Amino acid sequence: MKITEIQIKNFGKLHNINMRPLPGLNVIYGENETGKSTMQRFITSMLFGLEKQRGKSGKNDHYQKYEPWNSNSFFAGGLKFTVGDKPFYLERNFYHKEKSAKLTNEMDGEELSVEHGDLEMLLGGIKKASYENTYCIHQAEIETKKEFAEILQNYFVNMSMGGEGEVDLAGARKSLKEKQKDAKQRLEEQRQKRGDETEKLQVKEGLLQRDIEQLQEQQKESHENISRQRPGADLPEHDSNQMAEYLWDIRQKNVQKGYRVRLLVSTVITLFSLVLGIINATAHPLMRGGNWGWLVLELALLFGFLGGVGSVCHWFQKEKRLKSLIRQHEEEKRERNISVSKDREWQEVRQKQETKAKHRVVEELLQEQLAEKQALLLNLREEIEQNTQPSEEEQELELQVQAYELAYNTLQSLSKDAYQDSRKQMEEEMSRILTEMTQGKYDRIGLDEQMNLIVEKDNRKLQPWQLSQGVMEQMYVALRMGAGGIFTKEESMPIILDEVFASFDEKRLESAINWLSRQNGQIFLFTCQRREMEILERNNIPYGKILLSR
Amino acid sequence: MKFIHIADIHLGARPDRDREWAKEREPHSWQAFKEVIDKVKEEQVQLLLIAGDLFHGQPLVKELKEVNYQFSRIPKTQVALIAGNHDHLTLSSCYCTFRWEENVHFLKSEEIDYIELEGLGTRIYGMSYWHKEISEPRYKGVQAKEGNYINILLAHGGDEKHIPIKGSDFADSKFAYVACGHIHKPIQLVQDKVVMAGALQPIDCNDLGEHGYFQGEIKNHACHVKFVPLHYCEYVPLNLKVSPEITQGALEEFLESRIRIAPAYKKFKVTLNGFCDKEAPIDTEKIKSMDRVVKVIDQCRADYDFEELKRQYGQQILGRYIRALEEMPQNKITEKALYYGVEALMAE
Repeated sequence: MKITEIQIKNFGKLHNINMRPLPGLNVIYGENETGKSTMQRFITSMLFGLEKQRGKSGKNDHYQKYEPWNSNSFFAGGLKFTVGDKPFYLERNFYHKEKSAKLTNEMDGEELSVEHGDLEMLLGGIKKASYENTYCIHQAEIETKKEFAEILQNYFVNMSMGGEGEVDLAGARKSLKEKQKDAKQRLEEQRQKRGDETEKLQVKEGLLQRDIEQLQEQQKESHENISRQRPGADLPEHDSNQMAEYLWDIRQKNVQKGYRVRLLVSTVITLFSLVLGIINATAHPLMRGGNWGWLVLELALLFGFLGGVGSVCHWFQKEKRLKSLIRQHEEEKRERNISVSKDREWQEVRQKQETKAKHRVVEELLQEQLAEKQALLLNLREEIEQNTQPSEEEQELELQVQAYELAYNTLQSLSKDAYQDSRKQMEEEMSRILTEMTQGKYDRIGLDEQMNLIVEKDNRKLQPWQLSQGVMEQMYVALRMGAGGIFTKEESMPIILDEVFASFDEKRLESAINWLSRQNGQIFLFTCQRREMEILERNNIPYGKILLSR
Repeated sequence: MKFIHIADIHLGARPDRDREWAKEREPHSWQAFKEVIDKVKEEQVQLLLIAGDLFHGQPLVKELKEVNYQFSRIPKTQVALIAGNHDHLTLSSCYCTFRWEENVHFLKSEEIDYIELEGLGTRIYGMSYWHKEISEPRYKGVQAKEGNYINILLAHGGDEKHIPIKGSDFADSKFAYVACGHIHKPIQLVQDKVVMAGALQPIDCNDLGEHGYFQGEIKNHACHVKFVPLHYCEYVPLNLKVSPEITQGALEEFLESRIRIAPAYKKFKVTLNGFCDKEAPIDTEKIKSMDRVVKVIDQCRADYDFEELKRQYGQQILGRYIRALEEMPQNKITEKALYYGVEALMAE
């Protein structure tokens, strides 16, 4: 298929543009914002239609993106092309309310039906997705080295499984991974929360346990205390003043002694007076007259005797009274002692009982506290155990994590199956193109299980990240072209290259351009640099030159 | 003989702990218990049956004292109770040594035992849990002893880890009534004979529907019971079918209107069914933060027609993916994975 005329009536920012590309290489030159991308989209939209997609946001909907700036209802264009030397004219109205497509065989004026697939047949059955995946090569798609394999996988899956509606496999997998990560994170948070809770409970458990141990210790101590305690050890003494008692005793004894001495003296005096009186009387009889001296002596002795007797009696009485007083006092004391000891006994018993009761109360209190704490401990342990079970939310998240994993792995293995079939064929084609493009510098290009590109150079296998951006892009072009060749066996399609050589150095660009010029198909090379044109002119390669301006 | 049968009072439980109404919910088990005691007093019920799990965990002395005090308010009523799996006995527990009022009869034994209530001409059989779990069907084939007594069995269990109970276990037993506990939903396993009282009040939001106690009478060896609900709290299941057309705001408004007309003791467990717009899913957290919404379960699915997708994308990766997952042994994971994968592949 060769496009012979592009008629942009109203499409995005472009209107009333008419151009006639050459059947071979065409360079469309324009600075940024001159409508190069619009033009590319116009070509694919002419070939495959432009549907307003439901539910897509404006950013991703090509219809809305390329709706004419000046009028949204006049949205149309035309395309003249040849297939197998037969000229056709295709007209389309993109406006969604008056959508129409008219295809005419210009040779005989016969109108063909786009609706019934006549156009699709002319295009050799290639679908829009496959076309966009092969022959439309945009620089933007040559992404960073990391994502290269993903792009390839995507590309392969879409290529081999074809069909309308491009699937972003890498994106799907990435989103699954991200969502899984998110679910995992939430799961982790929940677990963490639960762990913190458990930790708190365990701290409580520890405190309780210590309390219990202390209580048990106390219990033991109180038990020991009670058995160690001597009964009545701390009983108060009787309050009688022993010192006073002692002093009183001594004093009484002294007094008694005094009395006795006096009694003795009195007795001696009495006896002495008596004996002397008798002697005196016998020696000098009363009637025998008298010596007054004798009489006086006798009288004195009598007095002495009488006085002595009186004094004996007096002291004797005194002593006797004292004796009885002491006896009485002792009696009292004894009695008092007896009552004191009885009192003590009784008090001891009472104290024993009291201590026992007190002890029992303490024991009971301790026991109760202990039982209470132990109940609390059991409850706490129960709570801790329950807390070790994952919550419903966690279980749900766990399921989600596993489901994401399964989805991811299933996609992975399906895509592997999908591209396995065409891998070999692809490798051959790609290698051929790459060798030509790099003039034998890299002779073999391969793909591993994960669709990572492997380049063989001097029998060494190189990963794409070991190569320069330029080489990667070369390979990418080779891949696209190779794939395109496989997909368009019946009818070659125009190749659209959008800034793909931007990072090629001069030498590489030259060999790439040379290779392109040797290709049979029609090529549209979009660029914002003059390098391509200069090379073409330098090498005297004929090409169509289309200049876009603002 | 009039009796009241309660179970799973779970005194000391703290339902909805992480919700703002947790404080309000905490005393419900006590309040409900006291209400039952009031009722016993008021109706001059002769027998109060407590089929286990009176306490949520190991009871504290002060809790036992409080319960005992409540029992002391009904001295003419005989109270029979057993310990369930939640408040199971241990050697050290105060539950074991606590001295109850004279009208309280605690069947502490680990084996099925009975007590005789002479005044009522009744024998009450039962056993207490000494372990958290008992998996043997202990009640199966239990027979009442000979004698002219009304025989009542207090039973706690009903799932595989807690003494499985079936209505047929007592088919040819001489029990006039089997008062069961443990399963929180009130069910008459055998009409007027084998009755699961259900939790007195719901303990968590999975205890849906009305909760209360059974009040009954045994006359001439025939028993008749009726369910009496208590309304401290009730969790109401609310299944909402959503579609991509229903917006968050509309859903919230509808819920609010439903909640507004419901009595204040009702709390809602919302389940979202149907299809939703994957681009703008329902914010379940926001719904959960609504007043009196206790839980939100989102079972919405993206509006995918898998048959149509398979037809449309037959040999493409999407079609292959759907088929691959449908061919796997189906479980919750494959079901989710199917949606996740299709969602990811359909994304732009």
